[in-house]
Amino acid sequence: MHRFFLLVVATLAGALHAADLPQPVPAPSAQEMYRSVVRIEVATQTPNYATPWNAGRFSGGIGTGFLIGPNQFLTNAHVVSNGQRFLITIYGSPEKHPAKVEYIAHDCDLALLSVEDFSPFEKLPIFSIGQAVPALESQVRVIGYPIGGERLSVTRGVVSRIDFQPYSHSRADSHLVVQIDAAINPGNSGGPVLQNDSVIGVAFQGLTEADNTGYIIPTPVIQRFLKDIRDGRYDHYVDLGIAEFPLINPAMRAALSLPNKNIGVLVTNVTPTGSCDGVVKEGDVLIAIDDHPIDAAGAILIEGEKVNMHEVVERKFAGDPVKLGLIREGKEREVTATLKTLPPAKMYAIRYEEKPRYVVCAGLLFQPLDTNLFATASFRDVNVRRLYSDYVSKGLFQEFEDVVILTDILADELNSTLPSLKGKIVKTINGTKVTSLAQAHDLLYPEKSPEYLVIELLGVERPLVLPYAEIPAANERVSKNYQIKRLSNLKAQ
Amino acid sequence: MKKCFLLFALSLIGCQPKAVTPATPTSEVKEISESMVRVNSTLQSWNIAQPWEKNPARQRRSLAAIVEQNQVITTAEMVADATLIEVESTDGAKRARATVACVDYEANLALLKIDDAKESADFFLGKTPLAMANNPALGDTVDVIQVEENGHSLFTSGQIRSADVRSTFLPGQSFLTFRVKASMQSSASSYSLPVLHAGKLAGILSSYDSKDQISDVIATPLISRFLMESQKPQYQGFPNLGVNIQSTDDPHFRKYLHLSEEVGGIFVSKVRKGSAADEAKVLPRDVILAIDDFPIDRRGYYQDPLYGRLPWMQLVRGNRSAGEVISLTIWREGKELSLPVTLSRQEEDSRLVPNYQFGKAPRFLIKGGMIFQEITRPLLEAFGDEWESRAPLSYLHVLSEPELYEKDHDRMICLSGVIPTQATVGYEGLRHMIVSKVNGKSVRNMRELIQALKQAPLGQRSHRIEFMDESIAIYLDDAVSDQIDAQLLQRGLQQLHRAD
Repeated sequence: MHRFFLLVVATLAGALHAADLPQPVPAPSAQEMYRSVVRIEVATQTPNYATPWNAGRFSGGIGTGFLIGPNQFLTNAHVVSNGQRFLITIYGSPEKHPAKVEYIAHDCDLALLSVEDFSPFEKLPIFSIGQAVPALESQVRVIGYPIGGERLSVTRGVVSRIDFQPYSHSRADSHLVVQIDAAINPGNSGGPVLQNDSVIGVAFQGLTEADNTGYIIPTPVIQRFLKDIRDGRYDHYVDLGIAEFPLINPAMRAALSLPNKNIGVLVTNVTPTGSCDGVVKEGDVLIAIDDHPIDAAGAILIEGEKVNMHEVVERKFAGDPVKLGLIREGKEREVTATLKTLPPAKMYAIRYEEKPRYVVCAGLLFQPLDTNLFATASFRDVNVRRLYSDYVSKGLFQEFEDVVILTDILADELNSTLPSLKGKIVKTINGTKVTSLAQAHDLLYPEKSPEYLVIELLGVERPLVLPYAEIPAANERVSKNYQIKRLSNLKAQ
Repeated sequence: MKKCFLLFALSLIGCQPKAVTPATPTSEVKEISESMVRVNSTLQSWNIAQPWEKNPARQRRSLAAIVEQNQVITTAEMVADATLIEVESTDGAKRARATVACVDYEANLALLKIDDAKESADFFLGKTPLAMANNPALGDTVDVIQVEENGHSLFTSGQIRSADVRSTFLPGQSFLTFRVKASMQSSASSYSLPVLHAGKLAGILSSYDSKDQISDVIATPLISRFLMESQKPQYQGFPNLGVNIQSTDDPHFRKYLHLSEEVGGIFVSKVRKGSAADEAKVLPRDVILAIDDFPIDRRGYYQDPLYGRLPWMQLVRGNRSAGEVISLTIWREGKELSLPVTLSRQEEDSRLVPNYQFGKAPRFLIKGGMIFQEITRPLLEAFGDEWESRAPLSYLHVLSEPELYEKDHDRMICLSGVIPTQATVGYEGLRHMIVSKVNGKSVRNMRELIQALKQAPLGQRSHRIEFMDESIAIYLDDAVSDQIDAQLLQRGLQQLHRAD
């Protein structure tokens, strides 16, 4: 796998330098390098999912970025998420340069920015991105604009751990992470972590309950991002779409007639429509991935390093094949899965740069279930929580494009006598099963209205009933009283 | 004596503002304390997390009234999970071990007796049982009795402010309760206290709010009926209709149901399978307009002749015995019809997820270090105050939709955790999973699970255990787990399974 990775780096570096740099740049000094670490000032607008018709909260923040190519500033996705205005400042200069986001990858917390006018930056040195994961205990420097002062800050530390860890920005993704003991503070985000003047990572998160733990995004993740966007679009990570159980128990191994003591993990779930759907079955024992033997704990050995088997997929792209060795019904066989992204998995990722979708009808607020809403509304209903957790693994997305929830009842004289039934899943509207917000909207506002609007909620054996004749007047009052200019937003972008 | 008593009650009413009675003749005070005993109970519940063990013991003391047949009436809270119950004369002179003659955890009532006939006769010698009072009306004055450590009786008079159907012990189990306004002092043995009306037993005080000076008193009609039911050869408890209802005060909903403005009515949202309502063919979406000629209003209240507006449940629970027939006036598809319903009661133990398990040790099985338990409400509540959001979703789903599981299960069996042993290597992280099959067969209850895991299937070394919601089967070596089980017993586990 490492070899594979080197290959990627080589082609990428070649592409960047040969194609985009007019002449070779002599190696700059450390002081000079610092000038290419820029301060990014972002004004953000964050929607409020409790009142999705409102503009949301206006706020802002400071992060760090650095020049990695002509008019290419690398930073964290979370520095620029939900941003409306981006300004880049060079170290020691008062001038603020308007910038924009070219690419943003929320799943690996990276983004690439460009400025409107690159000429003031043209003389600045360009950081080269290192080729390997730094060794344990080796020294690193973190450069950035963290809190505690206005000017550039440099901290030093050593590499403490290399691990597969969650990336907190999306809440749903885990990738390779390098832990260092240099302080990483708010504002450091997006800044380069250097070893011998070459970038070995991007500072991105810390740990609130522990001291001296900073996390950086290592080069394999950065290189993957840069390769992904080369076609002009970020396509997201691909995933095998399986869940495994370690085969450590001797009785379990014996029952599955597994000969080798330490090989293989049991497939316990195959996500419908995922990369492995139709290729791998639940109950299969996975024994190899791209010819690397998988041990009983799900790890593979690459050049002396034990890593999670999913690391193979981490560096691949949509459309790439992955070879899987497995034992099915006692027979060894080899299959090939074609990797793809799993769009429904977005259910569990925080969404940015999106306008919340909603429909209001007679003061009843309907919203599709997603993690933003889940985090805002703190649902107690067991059905909602179950659908949320099973949405991808059980393939419920095939049945429900959206899980539509009655999230609120905005008080109006028409609905004030309805029982308070917030936070329930909408099962049917006028007798038709609800499978998406857009469809729910069409059902709520049919061309020819029946006498009553009848809404059935999952787990509530009493329909909500409103006379259609009175709904237009109620909508008018609700729009006015709650300042809802548009009674629905069906598109996130 | 009786006259004396009445007199006393009268005088008490007369001097209502200063309720405590230094002026009352001691002879009469002695009289009332002769009808009282202290109940001292030691309660010890099971440790749900480690069901082979019990929790530390707790003590409760209450004052209770002596009733006919040398029995003592108190609250069920006093005997729930009791390991020792003692009755003690108010002067402390006599003491005897008591047992539960009859208990109703839902109504929060219990009758105690002394098993040994001679001991019982000795203890109750010279004691006077209290008769049941006629049902007091709203506004009537009642007396809460306390006896201080030195034997001195305290009377606190208060007025019945209102009556309501409320729970005094278990959530969701609501019965007729008086709310009595009286300013009481804290005193010994006050977990529950007898309440008198005109010198006769009229209720049991189960809780007192010192801030509002309001007491919840288990009401006279409920106690009378409990005493009556307890005389039957087999105590049956209070019946249920077995429906979930919704109010019909929403005008649009009323029009949709074609309910006229003259009637009230409650909407039946769910009919529990096998319940009295189900047997009588009450259907979901029916509207109950009246029960036994008492019209039910839009919010489910009826006009009780004695206690004013009360929730409809009072016409079924607490006021009726199982086997009695009530008449429901039903609105169904625009027509009115009358349905006779023979009331019945679903035994708590027959539920898929029982709400309480007092006096029953939790069932469990430990096999090779894997801990299997039945999903019960106490098991769910062991997830803490926030159990409704913290308990595993699969368990909560069983609680909320038992109908989906009842066909194949008496109880749901879960793997609640794993003790790390040689047999459970690699399984340490497994927990909170519902068992679906063992060795290919589904298990209805703990007994079947224990039976299924007794011996590995013919020709197999291991048991195969499958789970709901997870497509994973795990294997447990029979011989190894037997060895582990022997070690666990040596390490101090009292027992490895319990199914009764």
